[in-house]
Amino acid sequence: MASSDLMVGLEIGTSKICVVVGEGRPDGTIKILGVGQAPSRGVRKGEIVDFETAMKCVHEAVVDAETKSDVMIRSVYVGVAGAHIQSFNNRGSVSLPEDRDEIDEQDIEDVKTNAREVSIPSQNAFLHSIIQHYHVDGQDGVLNPVGMLGERLEADFHIIHGVRTRIQNTIRCVKELPLDVEDVVFTALAAAQVVLTPHQKSLGALVIDIGGGTTDYILYVDGAVKQSGVLGVGGDHITNDISMGLRIPMTRAEKLKVEEGAVTLGNCLPGETVQLKDDSGFAGKEIERETLNTIIHLRLRETFELLKRKLEEEPFINYIGEGIFITGGCSHLKGIDHLAEEVFELPARVAHAQTMSGLTSAFENPQFSAAIGLIKYAQAVQVDRRPTGGIRRIFGKIFSGMR
Amino acid sequence: MIQLSRNYSLPEREEEIIPIKVIGIGGAGSNALDRMVLDGLDKGDLIAANTDVQSLASSVAASKVQLGRGVTRGLGTGGDPQLGLDAATEAGDELRTACGEARLIFLCTGLGGGTGSGAAPVVAELARETGALVITFATMPFAFEGKRRAAQAQEALLELQKISSAVICFENDLMGDIVAPKAGIHQAFAAADVTISQSVRSIISLIQRPGLIRIGFDDLLAALRNSNSRCLFGYGESDSDNRPHDALTQALKNPLMDRGRMLSDATSVLVQVAGGPGMTLSEVEILMQELNRHISDDTQILFGTVVDGRMGNRLSVTIISSLAADGAVVSKPVFERPSAAPVPSPQAGPETKRSPAPELESQPAVEADTAPEAEPSPSPDEPGKFVPEAESAEPPPLVRPLQMIEATLNQPELADETPSEETDSIGDIAEVPEPAAMPQIVEQVREPEPQQPRVILPRKKTTPLKEPKPAENSVAKQEVLQFESVTRGRFEKSEPTIVEGQDLDVPTFLRKNVRVK
Ligand SMILES: Nc1nc2c(ncn2[C@@H]2O[C@H](COP(=O)(O)OP(=O)(O)O)[C@@H](O)[C@H]2O)c(=O)[nH]1
Ligand SMILES: Nc1ncnc2c1ncn2[C@@H]1O[C@H](COP(=O)(O)OP(=O)(O)O)[C@@H](O)[C@H]1O
Ligand SMILES: [Mg+2]
Ligand SMILES: [Mg+2]
Repeated sequence: MASSDLMVGLEIGTSKICVVVGEGRPDGTIKILGVGQAPSRGVRKGEIVDFETAMKCVHEAVVDAETKSDVMIRSVYVGVAGAHIQSFNNRGSVSLPEDRDEIDEQDIEDVKTNAREVSIPSQNAFLHSIIQHYHVDGQDGVLNPVGMLGERLEADFHIIHGVRTRIQNTIRCVKELPLDVEDVVFTALAAAQVVLTPHQKSLGALVIDIGGGTTDYILYVDGAVKQSGVLGVGGDHITNDISMGLRIPMTRAEKLKVEEGAVTLGNCLPGETVQLKDDSGFAGKEIERETLNTIIHLRLRETFELLKRKLEEEPFINYIGEGIFITGGCSHLKGIDHLAEEVFELPARVAHAQTMSGLTSAFENPQFSAAIGLIKYAQAVQVDRRPTGGIRRIFGKIFSGMR
Repeated sequence: MIQLSRNYSLPEREEEIIPIKVIGIGGAGSNALDRMVLDGLDKGDLIAANTDVQSLASSVAASKVQLGRGVTRGLGTGGDPQLGLDAATEAGDELRTACGEARLIFLCTGLGGGTGSGAAPVVAELARETGALVITFATMPFAFEGKRRAAQAQEALLELQKISSAVICFENDLMGDIVAPKAGIHQAFAAADVTISQSVRSIISLIQRPGLIRIGFDDLLAALRNSNSRCLFGYGESDSDNRPHDALTQALKNPLMDRGRMLSDATSVLVQVAGGPGMTLSEVEILMQELNRHISDDTQILFGTVVDGRMGNRLSVTIISSLAADGAVVSKPVFERPSAAPVPSPQAGPETKRSPAPELESQPAVEADTAPEAEPSPSPDEPGKFVPEAESAEPPPLVRPLQMIEATLNQPELADETPSEETDSIGDIAEVPEPAAMPQIVEQVREPEPQQPRVILPRKKTTPLKEPKPAENSVAKQEVLQFESVTRGRFEKSEPTIVEGQDLDVPTFLRKNVRVK
């Protein structure tokens, strides 16, 4: 089988490692061939803290994916998250030389380079430069300026960057397996590819992926990425809060959260309790349901409020017509959409990957949005990449089709 | 023999709360504060004072004082006490304001570094000047931290002893013994923090809980009186069927108690026994009689009891005392008791003397594995002595070998999730919701013979433990020694998430001050 239309996405999440194998179809659709999984260890808040352990887990997930898809995996698109990831918008501009007035590929390249001529911290590296809009001689709304006539090309980019060593850590973990890394992709960008339709992106939407250790977000207006980032808070924090508040071990707190937890307050009968069941010979403990939900509610409300304040530093959140799409494992928590609506004062819903063939309902689960999104991203990039490629650039890759 | 006062008065009207402040100085002090908040202390009373603004930013304390805005400019002291001293002096006014109207001020600090060692004496002085009683909790560095730190700590300790009303000093080396030898330094520090938090909370509740027999400031000071002294502190609690004995055993096991040996030299000992409404006079008597064997006849006992609904089935004992400086080197704990006299065994069962708690009597007889226990013998290999049976028609008491009393140390949750975590027992887990309210302590028929005390069974758990290992069942809850997750819990290994000046790894409900229990 030609390996070129095979794509593999790898998400090294804080709570699980997920490998998705997909195949690009001539009609542009993607068929999922298999999904491998392993619980994640050695990862905290989206970053690898224990290299050896994390590597073992990744290996386990890759083997699982190979078995399920019957494909030998050689290279992957890797998702990265972590609170070190930041972003900003910047405009680049180039003037065409006197003797030429038709915009070409090199100008596109140059305008991007120009947009990156801003200082990011010296230890950081560019992860993505996502095109928002081109302007030719001051004219807005140009989708593809190549071949257009003009003197001055300007372009707005959304630039995502992060700490180089941390991104390299992830790459190294994969390379030592050994697997090739096709690309590193910010997980929220990946998730947005399957959670949002192009139409929703153009109407404006905010995707919030609440995973184990981080909350990754990305905001689209007019079909372009305007804001993105990571908050180092996730489901582990909820679990930790429960563990401390109710004085129960983490493993039980996790179970309690997943099985009984909800976000909405005031829905319980007075004195309604949950029996903390136990399979290891421990006497049960009764937990007041409202107490459990209060702990969860407070954490998620705070997370949304922090995120809202962060987003409100810029005007874009006022222009998201389609509202909020919550995904990631924590979006399973009952009532989370209502809480988001209350905090952001915008419509909100829970979302997962939908638009792929071969996707069994088991994977139509918000936990897999980012991993499946990596495949969709890969497809967009592969279409975009010039066949002559040359050296693969992991940092600061260039392509224009991905938004 | 201790004479217990019979003149119990009912709890008085809700007395005005005595204003209290706890000031954490330096990195260690601030960590201790975080622990206290986790343990339920109102963070409104807490003040973090530090040179290091990053550490200040992540503190959960309600008020924060930056030391040395000009001197250290937000950085730490780099271990230089002179800088710490200058920094605190610079912040004098702010510190005074923070102390406010408090009548009792606790200082918590780790000696050996720069901020704690240099600033704590200054803060103590300021606090004294406001007219408050100042009790200092200080940790002494681990031996492996080196001679320089030890010397800095020693010097600061002497200063603090001159200035404070009382100093309670914790040897990190001894605290370190609590944790497994291969445990990391974080765990050792965490263990120390737990003990400090426990002590502060005990003293606060000694003073503030409305007790049947109240303990006041003067009693407390009397127990801590020797200036230049070493403090003995022990706390234990238990909800077992032999909770007076088990709680006391725990208290004496505290590293700051040196297994109770040093109590015999103390001139006065302050003891507070607390329990839920089910606590009985006989239980208190058993406990005091047992404690009596560890102290000399001349020792003055200051004694208080508290009935606190929140205690549920638990009974706790707090012991505070001090020794003059000469005998002051606390040796490593060795299990060795001056007296191996048998402990009076509680006689369990329905025939127990008329109890004011009829529900208790309707409880079924104790199961074999919760039967009366004997005093552990001095040698770990040799089972404890049997207790003379008084009027028991009950099954013979099981003898509990000594090693079973060893604390069951929980691994903290910091470790990566391994299947074994599943079996971690955090004490409270077996706790059972409180059944209907139990009668208050009522006068008992007094049994003059100390060998045959009348024991009212503590309330039994309504949910039976499923075949626990006998050892587990009889081990009193070791709150002081127990590791629960420290403030950061699972996030210990990761970089803290600081957003808008808050440490998001600390549970939201704690930072928002929402009570969830
Ligand atoms: N109990 C406890 N002791 C600590 C902790 N961190 C440091 N220490 C001890 O406190 C001493 C002073 O350290 P630190 O408070 O960080 O220095 P300072 O801020 O310059 O006063 C050290 O030498 C340790 O012995 C902690 O988290 N808990
Ligand atoms: N049914 C559920 N209810 C509540 N929380 C859940 C549920 N399923 C998963 N989670 C939580 O979601 C988080 C993991 O989400 P995921 O998106 O898989 O994270 P990551 O990508 O970081 O591995 C965990 O904190 C987990 O507890
Ligand atoms: Mg994820
Ligand atoms: Mg410090």
